[in-house]
Formats: sequence, structure tokens, C-alpha cells
Amino acid sequence: MNRKKIKNKKERIAIVTALRTPMAKAGGKFARMQADQLGAVLFRELMMRSSIGFEEVDEVIIGNVAQPIHAANIARVIALRAGFPESIPALTVHRNCASGMESITTAAARIYAGEGKVYVCGGVESMSNIPLVYNEKMTLLFEKLARSKSALDKVRTLLGFRPAFLKPIIGLMSGLTDPVSGLLMGSTAEVLAQDFGISREEQDFFSFMSHQKAAKAKENGRFAQESMTLVYDEVSGKYLDFDDGIREDQTMEKLARLHPFFDRKNGTVTAGNSSQITDAAAGVVLLSESEAQKRGLEPLGYLTEYAYAGLEPKRMGLGPVFAAHKLFKKTGFSMKDMEIVEINEAFAAQVIACEKAFASDLFAQIHLGAKKAVGAIDPSILNVNGGAVALGHPVGMTGTRLVLTILHELRHRGRQRGLATLCIGGGQGAALLLEVE
Amino acid sequence: MNYFNQTKDKRGVVTLTFDTPEKPVNILCFDALYQLEQILDILQKDSSVKILFIESAKKSIFIAGADIKEIKAFQDEKEIVKTLSRAQAVLSTLGNLPFATVSVIDGACLGGGLELAMACDYRLATNDEHTRLGLVEVSLGIIPGLGGTQRLPKLVGYQKAIELITASKRLKGDKALKLGLVDASVPSGYLSFKKEEFIQDILDGTLADRTTKIRRRVTWYEKIFPLKSIIAQLAKASVIAKTEGHYPAPVKAIEVLEKTLNMPMEEGLKVERETFAPLALSEISKNLIELFFTSEVLKKETFSRAKPRAVKETVVIGTGTMGAGIAWALTNRDIPVRLGARNMKSIVRAFSAIMADFENVKRRGRLTDREIALKMDRVTCTTEMDGLSRSDFVIEAVSEDPKIKQAVYTQLEEHLAEDAIVATNTSSLSVTDLAADTVHPERFVGMHFFNPVAKMPLVEVIAGAKTNAKTIATVVGLTKKLGKTPIKVKECAGFLVNRTLLPYLNEAAKMFEEGESVEHIDKVLKAFGMPMGPFTLADEVGLDIGKKVSDILFESYGERMKPSPLLAQMTEKNWLGKKTGKGFYLHQGKQLTFNTEVQSLQCGKTVLDEQTILDRAILIMVNEASRCLEEKVVANARYLDMAMVMGTGFPAFRGGLLRYADSLGVAEVVRRLSEFETHYSERFRVSGLLLKMLEKKQTFYGNM
Repeated sequence: MNRKKIKNKKERIAIVTALRTPMAKAGGKFARMQADQLGAVLFRELMMRSSIGFEEVDEVIIGNVAQPIHAANIARVIALRAGFPESIPALTVHRNCASGMESITTAAARIYAGEGKVYVCGGVESMSNIPLVYNEKMTLLFEKLARSKSALDKVRTLLGFRPAFLKPIIGLMSGLTDPVSGLLMGSTAEVLAQDFGISREEQDFFSFMSHQKAAKAKENGRFAQESMTLVYDEVSGKYLDFDDGIREDQTMEKLARLHPFFDRKNGTVTAGNSSQITDAAAGVVLLSESEAQKRGLEPLGYLTEYAYAGLEPKRMGLGPVFAAHKLFKKTGFSMKDMEIVEINEAFAAQVIACEKAFASDLFAQIHLGAKKAVGAIDPSILNVNGGAVALGHPVGMTGTRLVLTILHELRHRGRQRGLATLCIGGGQGAALLLEVE
Repeated sequence: MNYFNQTKDKRGVVTLTFDTPEKPVNILCFDALYQLEQILDILQKDSSVKILFIESAKKSIFIAGADIKEIKAFQDEKEIVKTLSRAQAVLSTLGNLPFATVSVIDGACLGGGLELAMACDYRLATNDEHTRLGLVEVSLGIIPGLGGTQRLPKLVGYQKAIELITASKRLKGDKALKLGLVDASVPSGYLSFKKEEFIQDILDGTLADRTTKIRRRVTWYEKIFPLKSIIAQLAKASVIAKTEGHYPAPVKAIEVLEKTLNMPMEEGLKVERETFAPLALSEISKNLIELFFTSEVLKKETFSRAKPRAVKETVVIGTGTMGAGIAWALTNRDIPVRLGARNMKSIVRAFSAIMADFENVKRRGRLTDREIALKMDRVTCTTEMDGLSRSDFVIEAVSEDPKIKQAVYTQLEEHLAEDAIVATNTSSLSVTDLAADTVHPERFVGMHFFNPVAKMPLVEVIAGAKTNAKTIATVVGLTKKLGKTPIKVKECAGFLVNRTLLPYLNEAAKMFEEGESVEHIDKVLKAFGMPMGPFTLADEVGLDIGKKVSDILFESYGERMKPSPLLAQMTEKNWLGKKTGKGFYLHQGKQLTFNTEVQSLQCGKTVLDEQTILDRAILIMVNEASRCLEEKVVANARYLDMAMVMGTGFPAFRGGLLRYADSLGVAEVVRRLSEFETHYSERFRVSGLLLKMLEKKQTFYGNM
């Protein structure tokens, strides 16, 4: 539109190749693939399809939240398994739900700093494989046992065992609990629902629509453009070539039947109007716009600018409003300039709350020190192919998926500019300004 | 020639370094042994010597074995016994030196090399990948002749010694330590510390105690009468079951071990050399040694003067049995593969097949799950022919239909890098014709794998009319990298192996038509040493495939290859063999029973004598093979024989098809073929080459 609006103009970052795996419900199809294997398959295929060679890459940067214990610095493990030369370094980044964006913006920052030219970035998450952990009492017992010298000592220690010691800590639940506010992510969504008075029905309808839109995109082959077919069981020869969380047969009735999960008495947030727990990986190959031009590449699209913002952990779901506000201030663009908007659907209540906050002058005055609202979002350009409620939210991967989906959608619609934003557990927001052509 | 370098330090530690001049490897020839004899003679009298180390100057080789050329050259039993007796005495001297002796094994230590090492008091080995220890003599049709049968049981026990010798096992350092064959197994980087430790312990007199505990030695119960022979009987039975009784060496080895277990060393050595002598002179041993030499030649053969290209990324198009097998072979050697097929269903079938092959490797303890997963990381797939731009080498293994194949090439050309090589795994189509419409026929080549790819070691390399030298060099290099043996053959219908084998199958079918029984024919040829009879083979391959290949060969070679009408009849009835459960045999599980229904296709009932069955089936192959030589389809008789052994399982103990013909004599071969020509048909007409050889009194191996 009007590039002169951009205040401190930086070179854009060109994304030349982008790919994701199908999104598989946790505990399902990809359950027996550890995150590093999932990543290895995706990143090898990404490189096979890219005109950039393995050896041309300066660094591999991958976001991952539940970093598996067997694969420390999982990005390095993935890079080696995918076939990158041993000489190419790799870095794992973690900004919770924005890890898949952080990998891209970290690379962008490195390109701006002149550290390198070509980066492979992305995010991977195997939520199926987040382990259960022994609780504190059992861990103590093990420690004591290791310190017991004589057999008698050992027996004495073992006598201190109680069955309750075996109650595990569920890694997934711990990971989804904010340690500062002590709230589960879903409970922070309940807070927003209360703040903004968002009804159960409103949330359920939003979720129903997410499935509807995703089902349509799946049927039109829209998702096939951005994702690969993945062989998840090599022995019995099984593969997945679609996102298996999408429910074509979702209805308001079915959604209404579900019990609130986080606040069983008064709550409105259910498993049906929250994002699904999912396994997936996504990746991009990127370089500066001038470098892409020099090489005669035709990028899929560009990252123009990005912003991260912090807020109250208890209301982390409003992160997009804070981050987008910052992004617009940085670039001079406004919500009106956006032709596609993706707000990650961590929870239906949370996205609806964002919509309301985006449109509210009062919210902007209280929280952002601005006179006017950041800008209402035209519902017809918001999450046009559904979101995490239907597709799932593999925490470390989602950030990259939003970039992929916006770029493809902009091209599909012949539009130029979009906003990808998400809320981040711990009280942050991320916003990326993306463009094609 | 000087084989040994000698140094001595002030502590009295002598180090003998074996270094065969001007050779990359150490071979224990008799000259070297005699030189050792002299050295030991002097050392023996030198009271200042405290310890003797025997080491090798060669990288990754201790001693690769005895000199096989010398064994092959033996003419006379008495001469062998005499020579061995002296050689054995050298090692006995080594074993009886008044000071401690240690061999330091960092590399291959096989056959005679291990026998020398065992004559030392101690063995210090490395656990590096290149270190392998084993008495591998029986694989050459002989038995250990330098005391191996005597010293091995004393280290690892009687039963284990039988197992190691009969299977020609090559042990890694750590395994050898576990069995007591060596006294230490350390990384080569620690060898110098360990050597110093050995010196200290020997000087302190503590090493002997420590090593006694490691060695398994012959247990008391192995020595007593019934157990001793029961162990031997069981071992013999299992050897005979595996070799069908065609290979006498392992059986003889067991006999020597059993007979000499309780004998004093000297008597045992006598039995050993007296058993060795006739084996070394036997036809079987000479044949196996000849094949071994051929394999050594083939290891160095490049079939092209050009330098091969590096192959970093490959594509396999077509994911049937062959495609999947080839993909496995590439993956197994850590060469990235992209599988291409029309749909995901056939791609995942290939994934399953690849994993099944890996499962077999895993079961043998050769690979772990982690290693397999890492290899599988490099397997990708496409149904759209995309992501091929980085590949240097494509192997096409789609169905044997020129139209389908050529359509694939056209599609490939759109997606491949400009300089990629395309190889077709055709078994019967003309490479030149297939390449006709390609943009780069110079980078198009035939690469014929055999089924099952994981097990069959042969690859026929076929140059089309325009194929260039670099392409040939690359295919040859890649084949070797896959651990397989490439043999370049000239383009002709059926190439070398199928062209030679088909007349054999056809002849079997003809004999059946005439009225001979399926089981009888199969039995005779199995007894000859073929891995399976012709009808079992036909069922295994599939009658439909057999028919397809026969039709192509008939078209090219005319009357002499006219297929038996049986093939068409059985294909029509869908009696295709194993895949339909019914062919010449009924296939129920692994059980084979004769399919009596096929008798209806016979003309009558005949009972041929076994010699006639054998000669008709084998000599018709000899005749076709001689035509292949005449037409220069293959470079020489040696390569042809190796191709038949590797490609069809022609019995190795017979040395190959043409070596077998040599053993009969060209005159006899011609006589029988002419007889058959008169009696049966023109298909037996003697080839020009055979007639010429008869006239000039040549043999296949003599006139190379």
C-alpha cells in the first residue's frame, strides 16, 4: 500500500520455502515419533523442496517448548538428523507459545546484524511425548536410596515408601501452568471471559466456525499447499496427509454438551472451545530480500517487521493487542492496512477478548496509553481458515504455522499484507507483519 | 627380501615389526616364516631378551592370512606335508621361547595371521572397527594348517573353536576378548599405554595369572568321550545341513578337532597337516581359491578409465520389490534416497519393505534401532516428482514396460539437475532403445540388480550405445559403495545372467514336457549344487515373469531359445508359482508339495538317467555362456563365472559354470552337446567358440 508509512525502514526478510507437517492429535498418529524425529522428517523434506542447499545455510534455528530430555538443544539434533552438514551450527529457541515465531525473528535479527545470510527456522512440538515426572517425595526417596550404603540402610530407606509417592507430575499440565499467577492457561482464559463478559455460547459458536472454516480449507486443498504427507509408521507403512483434528461434523449441540474443564462450577471454557493438544512441525528457509534478489529467487513472502510485548501473566491471552499495538507504532501501519489477520486460537474466549480489546478505546487508554483503540478487526479477514481450535496448537510450532498460513492466504487472495499474532503463556504477545510481493 | 624390522630397548624388550616390502598388506608367505625361523633362532639364545612383541607396520592390517598363491601352487601331498611340518615347527619355536611373547593386533588378523598370533603367549588387540580375528580357511576349502586347530581350542574351548572354524567367523576385538582369544582389547589410541602395562606386568610376573582367568580353555567335560563326540556329531550335522554336504573342509576340520583334542601338540599338528594336504589339492579348494582371486580382481576393476562422480543424493523411481530393495541398499550405506511413485500407498509399502530388511540386519545384531532410525531419516518421498533438483543419481525401477519407463524419463528430465545420471534397473529391455528419446543418453545407463536386492551381491552394468565413460565409472563406484559387485556386460537381450540361465530353465521345462518328473529334475540339479531346482526357482520368480523374459529372448535369439509352451499354458491358468500359491508346486506356508495338476500338460512319461538330466540342463548353459564370451558380452570367463555364482547361486565349490566345463574338458562338453543335438534338437548346436577351443585344445581358464 503505502510504504512511506514505515518509520524506520529495514530491509525485509524473504521467506523462500515453507512447509509444515500435518497436524496430528496428541496421543494419536504421531504419538510414537519424538519431537526430534518429527523435526528431522520435516526439515529434510523442506530442504529437498528448497532451491537453497543444505550447505548454504548459516544456522538452523528451531523453536520448541517441551524440550525432550533425550535431545538437548533439539535444533542441533534435528539439523544433524535432517542432513545438514556437521559444520553448520544450530540453536533452539524458547519463547513459549511464540517459539515458532522467535526462531524466525531471531534469524531476522542476525541477518540485520550482518551475522549471516541464510537461515532455516521453524518450530516443532510433540505434545504426545511430554513425560510424566516423579514427584518430589519419590525423587527424594531415590536420592536417599542412592546414598544408602549398606543393604540394611537400603531396606530402611525403602520402608519409607508410600504408594502416594507414585503419583506423577504430568509434564503437560505443569507446562501449561503459569508459575507466577499459578493459573492453568485455560484459567487465564476464564479470567478474560469474565472481564469481557463472553458467554459460553459465544465461545462455542466461535469454535464451531473454526471447525467449519478449517473443514472447508481442507476440502479445497488449501492446507495441502502448505503441508507435506508424513509417513509416521515406517514399519507398517502408515501415513497422514491431512490435519486430523478438524471435525467436519462439529455442531453447537455437541459443543454445548461438554463440561467446563478449568472451572467446573461457573466456567465457560471447555475442551471444545480451546485449542487442541497436537503434534506437528513447521519450517521456513529465509534470507534478506536483497540476497534473495541476488540469487534470483522468488520468495513466497516477506517478514517486514515484528514486535513482542509483555503484560500481566494472568491475562496473557490479550498479548496480541499489546504486541500489535507496538508493531503498528513501529511501522506506522494500522489495523485497516491488514488484509488478513491470524490470532492464534489458544482459547475461543481469548480471541474474542482480543477482538473486543482491539476495538475498545477504553482498553487502549487504560492499558496502552493511547487515545484510540488499536483498531477493530474485520471478522471476515480473521482466521479465515480456522485456527488452533480446529487444527490444534503444538505450542512450539504454531508461530511458524501462522506465518505459513498467512503467506499462502495472501497469495491465494492476491492480497499484500497480513498480521500474525499470538498470545504467550507467562504474559507476552507476539506480532509479525507479513507481506507478499 | 626383508620381512621384519627388529628393535630392542634396554629392558630387553624386543619388537619385531612385520612389514612385507612393497605391499600394502602383510601376507604370511613361507619366505617370511623361514625368515622368522632364523630370527627366533638367534633370539632364543640371547639371554638378555625378556619380552618379544610382534607387530605390523601396515595400517589396519596385522597379517591378512597365509599366501593363497602358494597354497594354490601345491602339486603333491608329500610336498605339502613336508612344507607345513617346517612351518608348524617355526610357530612351535615361537610358542616355546624362553621369554614372554605378545602379538599386537591392530587390524585384520586372519587365517595364518591368527595362527601366528595364537602361537604367542599373549595377544593384545584393538577394538577398532578394522580389527578382525578369525580362522577363515574353510571358506577356501581347506582347514587351518599352522596349528590353528590345536591352539584355538586351548584358548576358547573345544565347542567354540568348532563353531568359529566351521563358520569362518571374523571376530571384533571385544568379542575375541570375551571368548578368551585375546588378552586385551583396547582402542588403538590407548595401545601404547596398554603395551607398557603388559611389559610391566610381564616383568612383575603377574600377567600370566590375569590372562588365565580370561581364557575359556577346554573344559573338563568337553574332553570326556561321549560329550566330545556328541558335540562333534551335532556340529557336523549342522554343517552338512547348511552345505548339503558339498563342502568337505568344515567337516574335516571338526574331525581333526575331535580326534586331536586330547593329543599332545606334536601329534595333533601331524594330524592337522595330513588332513590339510589332500584338501589343499582338491578340486573344490582350487575352485574356491580361483573365485577368491576373481573377487580380488573385481574389487579393483573399474570398467572405465574415467573418474566417477560423487553420488550424494539419489532417487529411486518405482517402489515395487526391486525399487524398495535398491532403496534399502542405498539407505543402508547412508546414501540419501528420495522415493518416487505415483501414490502414497505404494510408497509406504516400500517403507515397510525397507524396514523389514533392516529388521533382519537388526536381528543379526549388526544395527541398533537408533542407527536404523538415523538411516531412515534420509529417506524421503514424493508422488509429484518434486524435490529432485539436488539428486545426482536416479535409479528407475518401474515395471518392465518401455512406454511407462520412457514416460518416467521425460518427466524426470523436467525436474532433474542438468548433469544427473539416470540408471534403469531393467532386466530385459534394451538400454539404447530406452535412452533413444532422452536428452542425455550419455548419462543413461543400465544397472541390473537381482532379487532379493538385500541378499544378491551382483549388479550387471549395461552401457547403452551412447553411455559415456564417466557414467559407467559412477555406476561402478556406486555399486561398490553398496557392497555389491558390478560386472559390466555388453547390451544384449537378457544381458549376461538371464541370457545364460534361461536356456537352463527352458531345458528343464522341455524335459518335463517329455515326461520327466518335476521332483526328479529338481533333485538332480539340487544335488549338483544349485541352490534350488529349476522348477522351485521358476515358482519363486513367477511363471508370468519367466514367460515375459523368455518371449524377449526368443525374439532376439530365435529357435534355440524357443520357450516351452508350458509357460503360456500355466500363465493362462494363473499357476504363477509362489505368488498365486500354485505353480509346479503347491505353496502352503513354507511347505512345497508337487502340483499333480501340471501332469496334464505332459506328453508322456519318461525316466531319464541322472547324468542326462544334469548335462542337458547345465551344458546348454555352458553353450550359451560360450556364445556370450564369443560375442564379448562379458570380458572373460572369470567374470562370467563370478556373475553366475553371484547372480544365480551357481555352486561356488564348482568354481563357476565355465570352470565346471573346464573340469569336464571341452572335448567332453562338445561330445555331449553334439549328441543332444542329434538326439533332441538344434538348440544344442555347439557354439563357434567351443569348436574353436576344441580344435586349439584350449580351456576357458587357460586362454584368458
